[in-house]
Amino acid sequence: MNIADVVNDDATLISRRAWSDPEIYELEKRGIFGKAWLFLAHESQIRESGDFVQAYMGETPIIVSRGPDGAVYANINSCSHRGLPVCRSDHGNTTKFVCPYHNWNYDVTGKLVAIPQERHVKGRPDKSKLGLKAVPRVESWNGMIFGSFDPEIESLDDYLGDMRFYLDAFFARFPQGIEFYGAPQRWKINANWKLPVENQLGDVNHGPFLHAAVIPPEANAEVFELGLSVVPKPGHGATFRLMPEDAPVESVAWGFEGLATLLGGAEVQDYLREIQAQAKERVGPLRSRMKGLTYGVYPNLSFLWSNTAFKVSHPRGPGQVEYWSWSVVPADAPDDFKKIMRGNHTAFFGPGGILEQEDSEAWVQQFQGSKIDYAEDRPYFYGLGLGEEQERSDMPGLVSVTANEFYARHFFRRWRSALEAAQG
Amino acid sequence: MSDEKMQSDCYDPAKVTPALQLDVEQFYYREARLLDNRQYQSWLALCSESIHYVMPARTNPLVDNSERGNESMISIERELEGADSTGTPIRNETYPYLMLRVERSFKPNAWAENPPARTRRIVGNIEILDVQNDRLSVTSAFHLHYSRPGSENFLYAGQRRDVLLRGEDGYKILDRVIIMDVAEIVLPTLGLFL
Repeated sequence: MNIADVVNDDATLISRRAWSDPEIYELEKRGIFGKAWLFLAHESQIRESGDFVQAYMGETPIIVSRGPDGAVYANINSCSHRGLPVCRSDHGNTTKFVCPYHNWNYDVTGKLVAIPQERHVKGRPDKSKLGLKAVPRVESWNGMIFGSFDPEIESLDDYLGDMRFYLDAFFARFPQGIEFYGAPQRWKINANWKLPVENQLGDVNHGPFLHAAVIPPEANAEVFELGLSVVPKPGHGATFRLMPEDAPVESVAWGFEGLATLLGGAEVQDYLREIQAQAKERVGPLRSRMKGLTYGVYPNLSFLWSNTAFKVSHPRGPGQVEYWSWSVVPADAPDDFKKIMRGNHTAFFGPGGILEQEDSEAWVQQFQGSKIDYAEDRPYFYGLGLGEEQERSDMPGLVSVTANEFYARHFFRRWRSALEAAQG
Repeated sequence: MSDEKMQSDCYDPAKVTPALQLDVEQFYYREARLLDNRQYQSWLALCSESIHYVMPARTNPLVDNSERGNESMISIERELEGADSTGTPIRNETYPYLMLRVERSFKPNAWAENPPARTRRIVGNIEILDVQNDRLSVTSAFHLHYSRPGSENFLYAGQRRDVLLRGEDGYKILDRVIIMDVAEIVLPTLGLFL
């Protein structure tokens, strides 16, 4: 297969096969999920020794745990004896993982500590070689734990590059940063994993159309008038409204997406006012004016600032995605405030979300469209705003209006290179 | 609702009379009919403006070995991450959110429901657990058939744990906790009125 036939040179045309072809999916597994930094968990989810959460790297199940030494461990959740998962819980605290089949025992770092049957045989297997398979690279940035199956991959810091500038506009806004509020919502959608990614990477322009039944016109107008889309590095993206310097505190601190804030009462509003009042000091004058929309980190991590959720689009074959969505809250905030922010995520997004139901429908229908016959000569058009993005002196990366689809073109050019590399 | 209350295994005939049972059953049948007829505005009128509407997340917790041999070891309650938990429930809403959902339903650009899904629910096992003045704690079970044009058909199954408020104009739903019996969520949406 010639990948150049799937994505053209400037990525303005993308074949329907990119979404639906099983052969392409196999290349994605090798070239993307076997190579990239993939988001695993946030350190706030595993604070104590023995705390663990489940994660995925592509389709591969991972246990992320905190060892007695305080370090973070990431291992494939599959016994070295017969391959069964050694952990069946979504999250918890434990001293060992035990395979149900023959009770091989592993400690929380993944080390094999007991083979119950070995006392009945003469030979002693070398347990040091039979631990769970460790993810070869695990690194954290601002509490965000990533893993990679590529031992040679660049550092996570370099990989994120200038994306950190935009992520920090949120993270560093709060005196003690952020934390993940418990386990993610998880659900399956019969769509290709890349469309949820693209949706959050920069596609805020579906809002006024797909979500017109819920998002009020003034919120959409704000996106058109003040919205910016940035590609700090191909494959990553950030969208936000850059509010005017004299904008009232409330209009920056919350908007339509702050329905929970509006309903949350004085305590919630005072907290957000206080945070916004400190923003200039914490993140600088430019970033204090950012009112975030959606972000993407290559290949499949998304951040929905407006509803404070991180999401991962786990592929399950070309035609299904297992979508995970975590509520994210300021670490220092009162517990009531955290619950209110969580409600602002779950009411609009997640499997019961009032906005998400339209998104899921669109993603499912796009996959159907990507499978139809007799339309091979009609690749999807990704050419809106071609070449209109520019550098700016006050923020890193290429910047444009939100209707410019350059975020997707950059993503697919990187995707194309990754698949070509996987072909060897 | 507390675990203890769920386990009270016998109703109090002095409180739960046949007339009350009939009254409550009729309320739930009417509610089901309104929802399946897509009369969501009429349905909303059955909700108290102080309603708390929650669908807990249902997780797979570690087995606690010390609970071995006890019913509590595999209690449903251990799986639920609801409004008071530090997990993320699927839904945790108040009246304005339900109002927003009802409003959305009557707009042609609510694309996921244009054309609208066809639903039919059977509500049963209606059990009045407790009556305290004007408040009734009631559990019920539902099966809901959901069919959206261009898609497959889906079965939703779950339990409702309600607190109903008895007033002059009948019952209002004051609290609703919906326990979904799905381990893997492959349903098109959990955003419908359950």
